[in-house]
Amino acid sequence: MSAVDITPHSPEKTSMSIRSVINNAGIGIALLLMILFFSVASEHFLSANNITNILTQITINLVLAVGMTFVILIGGIDLSVGSVMAFAAVVAGKAITLPGLGATELIILAVLAGVLAGMICGILNGVVSAYWSLPSFIITLGMLNIARGAALQISGAQTIYSFPFAFEEFGSMLIYGVPVVFLVALALVVIAWFVLNRTVFGRLIYGIGNNEEAVRLAGHPVFWYKVAAFSICGLTAGIAAIIYMARLNISSPIAGIGFELNAIAAVIIGGTSLSGGRGSVIGTLLGAFIIGVLANGLILIGLSDFVRQMITGLVIVIAVILDHYRAKYSAS
Amino acid sequence: MTASPLLSVSALRKSFGGIHALDGVSFELEPGEVHALVGENGAGKSTLIKVLSGVHLFDAGDITLDGAPYRPASPHAAKLAGIQVVHQEFNLLNDLSVAENISIEAMPKTRLGLLDRAEMNRRARAALDAIGLSDVDVTTPVRQLGIAHRQLIEIARALQSESRILILDEPTATLTERETERLFEIVAGIKAKGVTVVFVSHHLDEVFGICDRVTVFRNGETITTQLITDVTPADVVRSMVGRTLEDAQHSGADAHASTEVALNVDGLRTTANPTGTPVSFDLKRGEILGIAGLVGAGRTEVLRAIFGADPKLEGHVRLDGRALRINGPRDAIAAGIGFVTEDRKEEGLILDMPISANSSLVDLGAVSRRGLLNFGKEREMAARAGAQLKLKYGKLSDHAASLSGGNQQKVVLAKWLAKTPKILLLDEPTRGVDVGAKAEIYGILRDLVAQGMSMIVVSSELPELITLCDRIMVMAGQEIQGTLARADYSQERILHLAYGQTQTEERIPA
Ligand SMILES: Nc1ncnc2c1ncn2[C@@H]1O[C@H](COP(=O)(O)OP(=O)(O)OP(=O)(O)O)[C@@H](O)[C@H]1O
Ligand SMILES: [Mg+2]
Repeated sequence: MSAVDITPHSPEKTSMSIRSVINNAGIGIALLLMILFFSVASEHFLSANNITNILTQITINLVLAVGMTFVILIGGIDLSVGSVMAFAAVVAGKAITLPGLGATELIILAVLAGVLAGMICGILNGVVSAYWSLPSFIITLGMLNIARGAALQISGAQTIYSFPFAFEEFGSMLIYGVPVVFLVALALVVIAWFVLNRTVFGRLIYGIGNNEEAVRLAGHPVFWYKVAAFSICGLTAGIAAIIYMARLNISSPIAGIGFELNAIAAVIIGGTSLSGGRGSVIGTLLGAFIIGVLANGLILIGLSDFVRQMITGLVIVIAVILDHYRAKYSAS
Repeated sequence: MTASPLLSVSALRKSFGGIHALDGVSFELEPGEVHALVGENGAGKSTLIKVLSGVHLFDAGDITLDGAPYRPASPHAAKLAGIQVVHQEFNLLNDLSVAENISIEAMPKTRLGLLDRAEMNRRARAALDAIGLSDVDVTTPVRQLGIAHRQLIEIARALQSESRILILDEPTATLTERETERLFEIVAGIKAKGVTVVFVSHHLDEVFGICDRVTVFRNGETITTQLITDVTPADVVRSMVGRTLEDAQHSGADAHASTEVALNVDGLRTTANPTGTPVSFDLKRGEILGIAGLVGAGRTEVLRAIFGADPKLEGHVRLDGRALRINGPRDAIAAGIGFVTEDRKEEGLILDMPISANSSLVDLGAVSRRGLLNFGKEREMAARAGAQLKLKYGKLSDHAASLSGGNQQKVVLAKWLAKTPKILLLDEPTRGVDVGAKAEIYGILRDLVAQGMSMIVVSSELPELITLCDRIMVMAGQEIQGTLARADYSQERILHLAYGQTQTEERIPA
C-alpha cells in the first residue's frame, strides 16, 4: 500500500498539467506526422513563403479559439463569434473612417471600439445564459443572428474601406517571416495559459466546468465567472475583427460566416472536453495548427476544396473519439 | 465450510499507477451467506467490489465463480453472471425520474416497442414500497431528492433484477435507523431465497447483526475471514488496524458551551415546509447542537436554508445578535458560516481536480496573492490537513476521484476546517469514515469548539450525535419535535420524537 506522502515538495506540476502534457503530446505528434507527410508530399510545403502563409491563415481562428476555450471549459459554447467578429469589424470600421481625426487617434479609437463591441456581445451572452441558466447553445445562436443583423444594419450592408496606411501596414508586417498578427495571437495564448493555470480565476473556470454546485457552495460567484468567460470570448472576437481588418484592409458585414465552427473545432481537436472542466489552451493552439496545416497542405497536394472539407470533418470526429478514450483512461 | 464456494478469490492484485489498492486479497463466498467486508478507509474494499463487478480489471490473481475462471470485462458481463452491485458512490441519472432510474436496465415496452410508462411507474412504485420508501413519488426527478433517498433508490434498483450475488458497498452510511432496519429485513428475505450478500459497513454492530462471516482488509490485503460467532467486535477492530483501539466515547465535557447565543434562527420556513410550524432555535457559542430525525425529516433543508444554499421562504438568522442578509453561500461564508454538505460527489468535491485544489477551494484567498495561486502554499495546506485527518493518498496532485470514499469525505471536511468559520454546519460529516478516523475527527471538532467555534451537526447515526453533541434537537415532518439536553439522552427518547408525526402527513421529499 502506498505510504502517506506528506512531504510538501512533491513534483511541482499538478497532475492536471501532467495529463494535459500527455494529451497535448498526442495532438503534437499528430501535428508533426501531418507536417512530415505534407513536406514529403509537396516540396512547397516547408518553404518560407508557405509557412508565412499558414501562420497568417490560422491567426484569426486561433484568436477566436482562445476565447472559445474559456467558454467550453465552463461547459458552455459560443456560436456567435463569427457574427460578433463581423459586428465588431463594422463598428471599428465606422470608427476608423471617421472624418477629421489623425491616423493614430483613428487607430486607437477603432481598436477600442471593436474590442468593446465584441466584449459587449460576450457580456450579453454570458449574462442572459447564466442568469436564467439557459443553454448557451441557444442564447449564442440568437446572438449569432442579432450581431449579424446589427452589422448589416450599421454598415448599410456596405463594405467599409480606405483605412489609415499604418493600420494596413500592421496587418502585413513580418518579423523574420512571422506575421506580427500571428505573434499577437500567440501572445493571447500565453496570457490565456497563464490565467487558466496560475490564477484563482482560472482554477474556478475549471472548477465550474467540473462541478458548478461545489464551486457555488464554496462561496464563489459562479454567475460572474460565467459572464467573464463569455466576455473573454467576445473580447477575442473583437481582437479577431481588428486583425481581420488590418489584414484585408476592409471591414465587411458578411465577414466571419461559419468561423465559430472552426474555432470550436480547434478547441475540441485540442482535447478540451465539450462537457467542460477538462482541456487546455495549449491544446487549442495545436488544434488550430492542425486545422490550418490540413487546409493548406491538402490544397498544396492538389485536393479539391470539397475533399478538404470532408477530411477536416473526419479529423474532428477522430479527435472526439480519441477524447472519449482519454476520458475513460483518466477515469480508471 | 463443506460446500464448494460460490465465488473464490485468491491472491488478487490491482494497482493504480504506483498505488497497490489490492495487494493479495483472498476470500471465498459460500452460497446463501451474508458476508461482511470490513477495513479502514482505503483498505481496498470498494476496489475489490469494482473488480468483481467488472468496473476494473485486475492485474494478477485468480477469481473463480462456480469453479470456472471469472474475469468480467464490463459491468454488463458481471450482471450476466448474476452479480448485482450497489456502489458506494451513486450512479443515478439526476435529471431522470425515480422510475426511469429504477427501470434503466430493462425498460418495460408496450407491444409496439414503445416505452410503457405506466408499467414502468408501477414497477418502480412496487420496488420503492418494498424498501419502505412509500413517501417518494416515482415521477420526481432524482435531482430533487436527498442523499438517503438516493441510496434507497440505488438499492431498490439493484433488488429489481434477480441476482445470485448482491454486493452492498456501505449502503447504510446515510440511512437512519428505520431504513436500516428495513434494509436488514430485505437482506434476510433474499438470503432465505438463497442469494449471497456481500455487505460493507464501518458499523460493526450492523456487521454483527446480520452477517454470517466477516473478512477483514488491511492495506490492500485480506487479514482473516472468520465466522461472526467466533469473534468479538474488539477482535475485528484489532485485525483492521493492527492494534487495539480505545473507545471513542464522549468525554463528558460540555463545559465549553457558554450561555451566549452565537446563532439565532427565528421563524425559518423552507420551501419543503410552506405550511407547518416554522423552525426556531438558538446555538450557543462553543456548543455542538445535533439535529436528529429520520430520512426526509427536514434536517438538511434547515442547514441549506441557513447557509443560503436554497432560498428560504421566511425567517431570520442572527449571528452574534446581528441579523444577517444571506442571499447565497457567498454571503454566509462572508458572515463566518461554513457548511460541510452531505453529498460529496455532487456538492462537495471537484472529483477531476487534485486533492490539493479541493482542499483549498473554500479558502483560495489563503493560497493566493492578488489572484495568483501559490502552489507551494496550497500543497502545504493540503499536506497539513491530510496529516491531521490521517488522509490516505498517493500524491496531493492526484485527483480527488482516486481517493477511497472515506478519504474523499475527509477532504470535504478539510476544505471547511481550513477556513475556520465561526459557525460550522455539518451534514453527515463522517459519512463512510472508519471508526478510527471518526474518533480523530470528533477530537478535532471538539478542539475547535473549545476555541469558540459553534456547530450544528446533522447525522443519521444516533451514536454519533450522542457522542458529539451538547444538545440534540429532533425533527420530524419538517418541524422541531423537541430538544434534549445531554442528561436526557437516550436512543429511545430520540427515536420516539423522531417517529413523532412522520406517519400522519404527506410530505414532499427533500
Ligand atoms: N481510480 C483510482 N485511482 C487511483 N487510486 C485509487 C483508485 N481507486 C482506488 N484507489 C486507491 O486504492 C486504495 C483502496 O481504495 P478503496 O476505495 O478500495 O478503499 P475502501 O476500502 O473502499 O475505503 P473506504 O472505506 O474509504 O470506502 C485507496 O488508497 C485509493 O486511494
Ligand atoms: Mg469504499
